[in-house]
Amino acid sequence: MNNCISRLSFIFSFSILMAATFSPGLLHAQEEMTADQILETLTETMNPEQAHGIMTMTIVTSSGQERTFKYETFSKEKGEKSLMKYLEPQRVKGQTILMLNDANDIWTYFPRTKRVRKLATHAKKQKVEGSDFSYEDMGASNAFIEEYDAVRLKDENKEGRPCYKIELTRKPKSNASYSRAMLWVDKEKFVPLVVDYYHEDDPQLKEKQLVCKDIQLIDSIHTPMQCTMYNKLDNTYTSMNIVEITYQVDLTDDLFTEMGMQK
Amino acid sequence: MRNRIVLIITAVLLGTAGHAQKVDIFGYFEPQYNGMYFDDEYIQLQSNKLRVDLKSTAIANTEFGADVIFLLYHGKTDWNVLDFLSESITSTIPQEMRPYYEIAFSDTLYLDNVYVRFALNNFAVTVGKQQLSLGTGYFANPTDIFNTKDAFDPTYEQPGHNAMRADFQPSPRLNFMALYTPVEFDLENSGKLIRAKLGLGHFDLSLLGSETQYTTTDFYTFEQSQELRRIVGGDIVGELLGMGVWAEGIYNFFENREDGYEFLVGTDYTFESGLYAMLEYHHNSAAKSDTDDYDLNDWMRFLSGETKTVSSDQVYGLIQYPMTDMLIIGGSVVLSVSDKSAAIIPIIQYSLFQNIELTLMGNIYIGEQGTAYSNSLGNGGFLRASVYF
Repeated sequence: MNNCISRLSFIFSFSILMAATFSPGLLHAQEEMTADQILETLTETMNPEQAHGIMTMTIVTSSGQERTFKYETFSKEKGEKSLMKYLEPQRVKGQTILMLNDANDIWTYFPRTKRVRKLATHAKKQKVEGSDFSYEDMGASNAFIEEYDAVRLKDENKEGRPCYKIELTRKPKSNASYSRAMLWVDKEKFVPLVVDYYHEDDPQLKEKQLVCKDIQLIDSIHTPMQCTMYNKLDNTYTSMNIVEITYQVDLTDDLFTEMGMQK
Repeated sequence: MRNRIVLIITAVLLGTAGHAQKVDIFGYFEPQYNGMYFDDEYIQLQSNKLRVDLKSTAIANTEFGADVIFLLYHGKTDWNVLDFLSESITSTIPQEMRPYYEIAFSDTLYLDNVYVRFALNNFAVTVGKQQLSLGTGYFANPTDIFNTKDAFDPTYEQPGHNAMRADFQPSPRLNFMALYTPVEFDLENSGKLIRAKLGLGHFDLSLLGSETQYTTTDFYTFEQSQELRRIVGGDIVGELLGMGVWAEGIYNFFENREDGYEFLVGTDYTFESGLYAMLEYHHNSAAKSDTDDYDLNDWMRFLSGETKTVSSDQVYGLIQYPMTDMLIIGGSVVLSVSDKSAAIIPIIQYSLFQNIELTLMGNIYIGEQGTAYSNSLGNGGFLRASVYF
């Protein structure tokens, strides 16, 4: 069954640092940044005001079986509102997921039955169409700030790029699905290159790893065109690729409603 | 007249085929094998279903949609309902009346939906044969006066209904729906329904009222009577203490008989492991609570969809667990609290290929003869392949 969007917006909208960040003065200032400042800067810049794109999601199982989904995404108000409509395969074509309030309110629409269903937030733990992304992984773009305490560790190179390394530890009252996360952020482009997610009950057990590649400048925003989530426990992975995306759109509020899901 | 409307809409759909990029042709092919042990005998029934959908958005703000269903049956296609009922009921039926209770699965070809939808900003009108879905329940929907769900497969698609529907959304979390279901050209006897839906925090709340003609069949004489049925009701869905919660209910005002009510409450939760669990309770005051009181009309009205349940109180449980990215296992249980019978429905779903899904579903009845889920109803299951194109 069942349903989908939003930490992908974290990654795909986590895209941004404008050309201004390349200035030497700012680069020097970045050296002094604390973990919270880095995360705040990311959160400020990672979500474009609006976005419209087409993406593919390919699931690869441990036995090598593949399933590819194609969908259209819309987001507004820096990812607070997002809508995702499946285009392929035919099995799920037209299924739509609407997420509001940073994915704290989720609705799904099934065109075959013309039914809209509201989901409780626990549904965010479910896999998106059997992929290695949960709804939570694809969900709220500011979750790293709201749900975790951040500590900056010694800078490291990752994927051949100089990165800030930040350790995130789940806040005591948080319901986040991961006990801990390790984040490597490109120092120049402020795009997350690698994120390690640790098991909810065992902070030493790496559960998933997200790797982002092929960063392109689109509408003045650095955008990772490919992100792959590796499930270290199941030995599977899911790759998400941006087919096309634009941040220069004017999306109406009507789109992010129950009627908008059915258009 | 109806055929003429169908022809016109189909002509418009085909006429827009010139805009090839704006006309979608899609659907699915669905072979299904059913098997069951009944009365010490293994019985088979196979079906092949082909659904072809056409959808056109060639005209701005307007959608034309239609689908045709072809259904072919093989195996044991002739059944008699009386074979499944307790002797205390069937013994009252004269032998010469038995053929009246036969059901035949015949090959069919029919237009399931055909509609035109015009939508502009926050307003939409849909006219034609269309799917109508109401309510927040999973196993049953008391507010849905148009459809009856199959307790074993409650999410399966429902047939289309002739209706005119208007939706108006003055603000993002507030919308109104008006529905008119014509009966011939008789305005007074046609169905009318209005619904207001409001979002309050993490909750969605609906209130509705309707007026329809309600048909009751006396299955001893096969005489039908009609009366006015008015309902008021509503539904709510949201979250409490981290769990999904929902409720749905109606109160029936009948013209010629005692009023009644029906409600459902439910909750669900997804565990960290991915295990999903759901529980629902459903009460229908129009149904009976004592097995000894069930009569032929209770069973036949349930089987024909005139009433939603045989017994008054039911509990539905569902669990699902993703074993792998391609395989989901689970099952549901329907417990008739009133007569202490139950049905267990194991379910396996497997994504065989990108557009091919396999569903294996069983049904095991646990109940004494005459109960809602009597073990004399026959145990079995089905294997279904859904091939989408």
